[in-house]
Amino acid sequence: MKILVITEAREGKLNPVSFEALVAAQQIAGAQAGSPIAATVIGKGMRQLAEELAANQVAEVLLVEHDLLERYTPDGYAIALRQAIAQSKPDLVLMPHTYQVRDFAPKLAASLGKGMIGDCVGYRVEKERMIFVRQMFQGKTAADVSFTGAPPWFVSFQAGAFRGDQAARGAAPAPITTVKVDLKAEQIRTKPLELFREAKQAVDLTQAPILVAVGRGIKAPENIPMAEKLAKLLGGELAASRPICDEGWLPMDRQIGSSGQTVAPKLYLALGISGAIQHVVGMKGSRTIVAINKDRNAPIFEVADYGIVGDIFELIPALTEVLEKK
Amino acid sequence: MSPERERLDADVLIVGAGPAGLACALHLARLIRQHNESGGKPELSAEGIYVLEKGREIGAHQLSGAVLDPRALAELVPDFAKTAPLDTPVTDDAAYFLTAKRSWKLPITPPPLRNHGNYIVSLNKLVKWLGGLVEQAGVNVFTQFAGAQLIHEGEAIAGVITEDKGRDKDGRPKDNFTPGYELRAKVTVLAEGPRGSLTKTLVAEKHLDGLNPQVYSIGIKELWEVPPGRINPGWVAHTLGWPLDSSMYGGGWIYGLRDNRVSLGLVTGLEYHNPRFDPHEAFQRFKTHPFVRRILEGGKLVRYGAKTVPVGGWYSMPRVYVDGGLIIGDSASLLNSQRLKGIHMAIKSGMLAAETLFEALRVGDTSAKSLSVFRRKLDESWIASELRSVRNFHQSFQHGLWLGLAHTAAQFVTGGRGLIDPMRMPAGYEEYHKLDGAGAAPPRFQGDGVLTFDRLTDVYHSGTRHEEDQPCHLHVLDLNICVNRCVVEYGNPCQYFCPAAVYEMVEDKGGRRLKINFSNCVHCKTCDIADPYQIIDWVPPEGGGGPNYEGM
Repeated sequence: MKILVITEAREGKLNPVSFEALVAAQQIAGAQAGSPIAATVIGKGMRQLAEELAANQVAEVLLVEHDLLERYTPDGYAIALRQAIAQSKPDLVLMPHTYQVRDFAPKLAASLGKGMIGDCVGYRVEKERMIFVRQMFQGKTAADVSFTGAPPWFVSFQAGAFRGDQAARGAAPAPITTVKVDLKAEQIRTKPLELFREAKQAVDLTQAPILVAVGRGIKAPENIPMAEKLAKLLGGELAASRPICDEGWLPMDRQIGSSGQTVAPKLYLALGISGAIQHVVGMKGSRTIVAINKDRNAPIFEVADYGIVGDIFELIPALTEVLEKK
Repeated sequence: MSPERERLDADVLIVGAGPAGLACALHLARLIRQHNESGGKPELSAEGIYVLEKGREIGAHQLSGAVLDPRALAELVPDFAKTAPLDTPVTDDAAYFLTAKRSWKLPITPPPLRNHGNYIVSLNKLVKWLGGLVEQAGVNVFTQFAGAQLIHEGEAIAGVITEDKGRDKDGRPKDNFTPGYELRAKVTVLAEGPRGSLTKTLVAEKHLDGLNPQVYSIGIKELWEVPPGRINPGWVAHTLGWPLDSSMYGGGWIYGLRDNRVSLGLVTGLEYHNPRFDPHEAFQRFKTHPFVRRILEGGKLVRYGAKTVPVGGWYSMPRVYVDGGLIIGDSASLLNSQRLKGIHMAIKSGMLAAETLFEALRVGDTSAKSLSVFRRKLDESWIASELRSVRNFHQSFQHGLWLGLAHTAAQFVTGGRGLIDPMRMPAGYEEYHKLDGAGAAPPRFQGDGVLTFDRLTDVYHSGTRHEEDQPCHLHVLDLNICVNRCVVEYGNPCQYFCPAAVYEMVEDKGGRRLKINFSNCVHCKTCDIADPYQIIDWVPPEGGGGPNYEGM
């Protein structure tokens, strides 16, 4: 059985998960005599990565290059790899189950009229038939799936299903063959834009030495800036109890409590927070707790070291004034 | 958007791993094993039985007092006295009448409240143990999966679609989005407990309602640890009277468990007239009665929970069989409202359903006609004779405590018939008296934090968690009614009857609106039952969410 491993590269380096697919290929090949493994490297200017790959125990490395493959597009990769498959004629095409593979592999398989078994966690051979194992019901059961019909068969393996560091090295570097890719600009229907990192680093309130937290007592989002100013003057961060984040007045990463972050800063200033147990469990480890609340019976005063029964709209400006004078 | 769903085919799909669902699975697996071992044909497999459970683990959503009548458990597991996790046999039981300050022990404990021969149990522990037996028998129990929709094929029920996982709060797929599975089965057994969501739709769609609409009570429970010597294990007390007034149905319970633990709670019928009545507050005040306080003083709260109980009885039973479907347990109204016991009936009904299913699978006929044998088996069993003897019980109390007791006495000497048979009763949500210009609402109960607690503190002790970024599972069909009509007519009772502080009317710049804190939900179904306009539809949230009723 001839196996083709499709590797993935990011920013000039092979994605480590590609080695897991390679290990899978080597294990399958090991069990079946006469199973040469080819591995693809796809993109532009990939020769160095191809050489890196060729140091492993593979029969050959296919260099799939074209100017139009410099940036990933599903059409570009599907068309180019289809040509690599036509040239190499594998029985089994193995890939790591990455986001990129999820994007182009179904298109690739479908263009050849083939199905794909994705996100597998293992395989076994039964009576010369390859059976691939994938999880169902969020991991509670495993399903055995096999192919009907002629090869090539497309399979992707879940990250972690194989150990990438177990890839066997080759005795000598494998030959690198170029695949002549015939690709025209009009065949690529998408235009990739700049890569960007989606989420800004979320605020890690557990690292802040001082926290100024607002609760329902702050009444309206317009009042939050004054609390934020106080926080900055103290050299701390702004935080909030759940109702504030529920309303969208502050993002979820500012939430303290049983469904938010648990913190233990040197100083926790609770402004207009009643002290429901769900909040208190998130901050009771603070070294010093200062609470300001209009309601003298608010449970927050039971955990506070210092408390003022008063109006935060008087006290925040008062505190701010004193700190600004310093 | 109709997503591609993965499909699985089962022989029998049981929705709900409570006492009814698990008894059904266990008994059916055994019948199959015996059949195969004696060479029966065709050969059947217990692997074709799937059980779905929306809780994080088996037992997580199970809550009851509970005093168990072991007769059904003895049939299901003959050596239960040695192997089941029973807390303690009942040693002493008594009934009390309470006024605001005093208590009177009733000289004779009324027969339905006599519990000798019964056991105090934690339903959570009992169900966990049953779940272990079911899994050993080779049945697959899928926890953290809910039945979201029924699959129809013509007239028949062909299975269930589980809930989509990984949708964000606007319903959009997240990175981990998985569409619900299409679970097809020859027979689907609905064992969802009180006010099951699939049962509700099935009964409505196929007009399966019984003679009377189903009526419910809400049970609010706390588990406490108290100083040694306060209470003897096996002591069972039931109370009538305060804090409920004589127009209301309900009562309290206090049970002594081993290791200085106490199970206590208050049951209130969900047909009270005052829309501002707060069952949670009533229970908190119940604890302040000297009779209760002297037991709890110095102790600490361990766990909190709430659940509804179907008390309509015999005449509220829906039709329990359809093509490809059965309804069992609480979902089928199989609960003795006088003894407030349903676990034994849930187990027995599960076993009778298993016998019916076994035959249906063996001959390959899962039509309504074939499954109607289940109803016949119920009628011929002790479930029917017990339910018939109390068939008008709960309905007797719709005009107050004293009239109710009079009716009950008449029913006692006539085997259940009483003075009116059948006694008709409307659904509980029709019983609210409109506010009609009643004054402002009284301030909400706060609790002292030691003996009594506010809702949020109690909810914390229910272990309830939900994935926060998911669609709200409480569908209010017309929010305009809340802010325009209900606020005037009934004062938004959802704020009062929900034992988990899910519903809040808030005022802000946009005006008045309903805020739904769905992640506090303890899955009791009170809102679906008690909302006066019947516009709240409870559907299961993403599986795994909900309370964690360890020890309850």
